[in-house]
Amino acid sequence: MKQSRHTRRAFNFAAAASVAALASVVGISGLHAQQKTVKLGITLPLTGADADDAAKIEHGFQIAIDEANAKGGVAGYKIETEVFDSATATAGQYDPAQAATNTKKLISDPAVVANLGPQMSGEGKAMTPILSEADLATITPSSTNPDITNPAMAATFKPKGKAIYFRTVTTDAFQGPNMANFFAQNLKVKTVFVLDDSGAYGVGIADSFQKQAEKDGIKVLGRDQLNPKEADYTTILTKIKGLKPDALYYGGVAQAGVKLAKQAYDVIPNMIKGGGDGIQGGSFLKGGGFPAVEGWYSTNAGPHLTEDPAAAAFVKTYQDKYKDTPSDYSITAYDGALVVLDAIKRVVASGKEVNRANVRDAIQTSNLKTLQGVVSFDENGDIKDRTVSVFQYKHDAKNPDDDLTHQNPYIGVAPQS
Amino acid sequence: MESWEILLQQVINGLSLGAMYALLALGFTMVYGIIELINFAHFNIFMVGSFIAMWLMQLMGFTGQTHILYGLPLIGLLVLVLCMTMLGTGVLGALIERYALRALRGVSGTAPMITTIGLSYILFNVILLTTGADTKNYSNPMPNIRWEFGDAVLRLREVMLWGLSIVLMIGLHYFVRRTKMGKAMQATAQDQEAARMVGVDVDRVVIITFFIGSALAGAAGVIFGLYYNYTSFIIGYTAGLRAFTAAVLGGIGNIPGAMLGGVLIGLIESLGGQYLAVRWTDVIIFSILVLVLVFRPTGLLGRAAPTKS
Repeated sequence: MKQSRHTRRAFNFAAAASVAALASVVGISGLHAQQKTVKLGITLPLTGADADDAAKIEHGFQIAIDEANAKGGVAGYKIETEVFDSATATAGQYDPAQAATNTKKLISDPAVVANLGPQMSGEGKAMTPILSEADLATITPSSTNPDITNPAMAATFKPKGKAIYFRTVTTDAFQGPNMANFFAQNLKVKTVFVLDDSGAYGVGIADSFQKQAEKDGIKVLGRDQLNPKEADYTTILTKIKGLKPDALYYGGVAQAGVKLAKQAYDVIPNMIKGGGDGIQGGSFLKGGGFPAVEGWYSTNAGPHLTEDPAAAAFVKTYQDKYKDTPSDYSITAYDGALVVLDAIKRVVASGKEVNRANVRDAIQTSNLKTLQGVVSFDENGDIKDRTVSVFQYKHDAKNPDDDLTHQNPYIGVAPQS
Repeated sequence: MESWEILLQQVINGLSLGAMYALLALGFTMVYGIIELINFAHFNIFMVGSFIAMWLMQLMGFTGQTHILYGLPLIGLLVLVLCMTMLGTGVLGALIERYALRALRGVSGTAPMITTIGLSYILFNVILLTTGADTKNYSNPMPNIRWEFGDAVLRLREVMLWGLSIVLMIGLHYFVRRTKMGKAMQATAQDQEAARMVGVDVDRVVIITFFIGSALAGAAGVIFGLYYNYTSFIIGYTAGLRAFTAAVLGGIGNIPGAMLGGVLIGLIESLGGQYLAVRWTDVIIFSILVLVLVFRPTGLLGRAAPTKS
């Protein structure tokens, strides 16, 4: 018995060794035949309160990469991705500290030549100093806080000097103010109360809205800040009800926005209510639901795309592949990935090495026709197109409750400031 | 809105917030009163309770936004969901005591408390990973009955919240003070060894204490969901922090103290938000807590339960 087990073990060992040897031979020959690869990072808050919107962005990136790989890669390179989740359980949404940790992991992998994301400006602010040191460019389809690309704050957000934060949407330097113009000119708002959710994005967009609102002659009756983890906003809503403004503007993302909408429906149902792209999407729509979100205005820091004939093929692919409707930011994400892939292609074509610095330089000089039109950047990394689109949640019983295109129809472009 | 209407509305808001904190603090403070354990898992048992209630209602066909019931069916639904959720979280609490905390009983130092923090994270992450992080919509079965005083509004759901927290507080107080099991709990609180000597089954008393405390957390979870019409894996965090503060403010281990502390914090939150700013709420609440503890280290009502010798 014992003897036979020994024999068997010896046999097993021999078998394993020969398999290993065989595998290594195959492996080496496989390696020779294998295509050259480059890696792209993807950093998004995939599990937080904004998970739904983050998934729509990730799918946009993924479609562009899959299409490129299906065509045999970009200039001979197969594109691989490394996906990071920047949400944590303690934050319940995106977590800047987690975004920074992920970025450190990302830059430690020399195969990574560019990054896609983040979704949120709060992540972006934590990531940029690290990205700058590593010369690693990122392209965001949705983060709109203007500080990150503001040349006056370069010491904080791009200490090495070169732009590394590129956007396929415009910033809150236009999103907030243009919405203030829309409130003043289109909705004839005379008085407003402004709230933010204490995040980087929320405070920034509420500030820029407030400033332009005052310029437009709207009286700001008050400004306060919500704790996004708090359950109850009736106190502040009661205060707002007492002040009787014509409108409420909320700068922030879905975590606080969903609860605000539910409780505002009860306390101030007839007031004009609006926000930015933080409440433009599936997370706000599904979490808040009708009738709570009915009537809320929201904006996008870019042109409206999902109903654009140019994007019809993309929308079809997206629906078939993910059984879900894309958002406008799925398309800006797709465009962003196209910009990076095009940059890699141009680096290869110029005969230079495909590394971070060269890819960054190529992204900077992009002039690429994408679904949203020609994408090109100023020296800070901001997209040159500055369109802001306005939407309003309106229940459409003929379509599914979570169909963003139909439940949150497009109204038009906000007046430019 | 006239200023008196605003004040009245904010008092209504504050009492509702306070009732929610008190409801959540009740079970927590009771467990502390009996076995002197700060059970941080309590607040995530509350969160699990709100999910259990949501699933129960979904099983009964309550999905979507509103599904309004009146009269007997409404009361029947509320009682059924409340009882089943309390049973569910009670069993969860008893299991936690039996398998995670009993072995640590009598261990001095912070080991049992740290264990409850660990358990709290387990519950939190299990819900997060199995249900996702998005805000869950609660179907609303409550009719929109409201009483208006000028522009101030009192809704049926506020009355339900206040009523239930008062009933549970009085019931719990009576149970601990008057029943045989309550007296066994008090004896255990005083001296476990002596209690055992006079024939108290200490293991049984402790597990029942956990069962009741966790059932109360479950009740708070049901009420939270029905009141706010949402739940999320994260609700135990902020509400838990406030409820913990309420318990300490009122005198930890003291059941009427938890109620008083909860209502005080609720009123501070709403009146501070109205007359100062919402962003200062935490500063005000915790400053008052520090002041109270400096001058009255045992909290406003002190400890009613006898301390160990």
